[in-house]
Amino acid sequence: MGTEVEYTPFELMAVAGARELKNGEIVAVGLGLPVVATFLAKRTHAPDITIMFELGVIDPEPIHTGVGLADPRVWYRAKVLSTFVDMLGGVLHGGRVDVGFLGGLETDAYGNLNTTLLGDPKGKFRHFVGSGGANDIASSSKRTIIIIRHEERKLKEAVSFITSPGYIRGGQERAQAGLPGGPSRVITDKAIFGFDPESKRMTLLSIHPGCTLEDVLGTMGFKPIVPEHVPFTEPPTAEQVRIIREEIDPEGIYSG
Amino acid sequence: MDKVVTLSEAVASIPSGSHVALSGFAITRATMAFAAEVLRQGIRNLTVSQCVGAMDADLLVSGGAVSRILYGGGSLDRFGRLACVNRAIEEGSIVAEEYSSLSMVFRYVAGALGLPFITIRSLRGSDVLKQLEEKAPSAVAYVDDPFTGEKWLALRPLNPDVAVVQVQVADPEGNAWIYGPRWDNEEQVKASKRAIVITEQLVPTEVIRRDPERTVIHGFRVSHVVHLPFSAHPTAVYRAYDYDADHIRMYAEAAKTPEGMRAYLDKYVYGVKDHWEYLELVGGVRHLTKLAADPILGY
Repeated sequence: MGTEVEYTPFELMAVAGARELKNGEIVAVGLGLPVVATFLAKRTHAPDITIMFELGVIDPEPIHTGVGLADPRVWYRAKVLSTFVDMLGGVLHGGRVDVGFLGGLETDAYGNLNTTLLGDPKGKFRHFVGSGGANDIASSSKRTIIIIRHEERKLKEAVSFITSPGYIRGGQERAQAGLPGGPSRVITDKAIFGFDPESKRMTLLSIHPGCTLEDVLGTMGFKPIVPEHVPFTEPPTAEQVRIIREEIDPEGIYSG
Repeated sequence: MDKVVTLSEAVASIPSGSHVALSGFAITRATMAFAAEVLRQGIRNLTVSQCVGAMDADLLVSGGAVSRILYGGGSLDRFGRLACVNRAIEEGSIVAEEYSSLSMVFRYVAGALGLPFITIRSLRGSDVLKQLEEKAPSAVAYVDDPFTGEKWLALRPLNPDVAVVQVQVADPEGNAWIYGPRWDNEEQVKASKRAIVITEQLVPTEVIRRDPERTVIHGFRVSHVVHLPFSAHPTAVYRAYDYDADHIRMYAEAAKTPEGMRAYLDKYVYGVKDHWEYLELVGGVRHLTKLAADPILGY
């Protein structure tokens, strides 16, 4: 702590994600950086986190990096191997998930996520992955955290397709749709955002060390709310970086 | 009752136009040998459904066997997208009803339990729902909670004609065990009019009777049992064999273009007589032995 620690932007994102998780919380995770962040939290300040994968997996302890949730590598040493109904039904829809951790093709000023298509849904478009459990997690978690790369094409005023709703068009729209919770944080490789309590528009919370306000705003597709004082994001500690590199992602697949 | 048949006989029981629920999830327990045999027999106009689209659906779509897909989105995980499904959606050559994983499984649950509809919190406020309202208006509706008056989204039950499920262990009657997470497979079987079980290992019913807590597919729901090793290749079967990464990479590359996919089909589907010839073509025992799962790791 205190001395200069070298880290990659992805390691900083994973650490920022981990800091958002509290001990004892139940976390629904998709694969990639959210997994690195959640395992990091569990190995540091939040050992009693419960990790849930949608297809029926609780608290695995993988020793090899998997290619996706369907890879038996990520089920290794799980406490539960069951079903969608058990996880997305009994745990998530039943209201027990504290945090949903999601990524996507693009997100927007109100934290809506698109993983379905780019282009015009009724005209020419390219189809990608679709929802999987993402829509379910965004709809029923008490709060969601979005991790996404900081690029103009990924941070838009409005996504071209709402796969997983955030605050929809802002204000009370999410509550009016009958949905609890909503996104609490958006973590990029340049900054961390929250959401304005009234308008629900994305609000800049901190800028990562080494980035400038101009750089952050100049590389996104809309203007977030910018408070008068914006601090720098706390950098990772040497221990956090060590755990990511040596224990969680030794092959550097997600955070390299 | 002994229901053990060849893959060819089981596939021949499926008429063109049927709704088939498939057990795959991305690159695991996908019904690959089944899909290849469907293409070889020229069965067409299928509706396929699964909570997360997998390589089996992609192969069926690539060979033109599918006219409609109901799924919650899907991919080949880090190997790539479901390129053939995506291309067919983009070109409009198949009708796609896209859900989320849970809304798909809730439709199976309602079908399994004999409910008139099931309510769900998911989909509200999303373009997934807007698209369903346009493309599948008979699948979604709103109802008032009779106890609180609150408005809920309701889904229509789903009852496929047949569920096709890859399992690790089954007896000749179709009582089956699935090791590892089972995603939507139990609900698919219970919602379907009948099931075809494709098993890596065929055991006497006495083995099932000694461990009945493990039985997740009830024999009486099963019409055909197929005993066929490596029948999910190149996808993984937990505790049996790992996915064949090189083959999936090759498939994903081929699937990027219609020509590439055509060449893949000509070689690995139409170029072989049956699954046994396919296994020889991909490397035979020498190659497949390398994929066998480590008993502690399960992969």
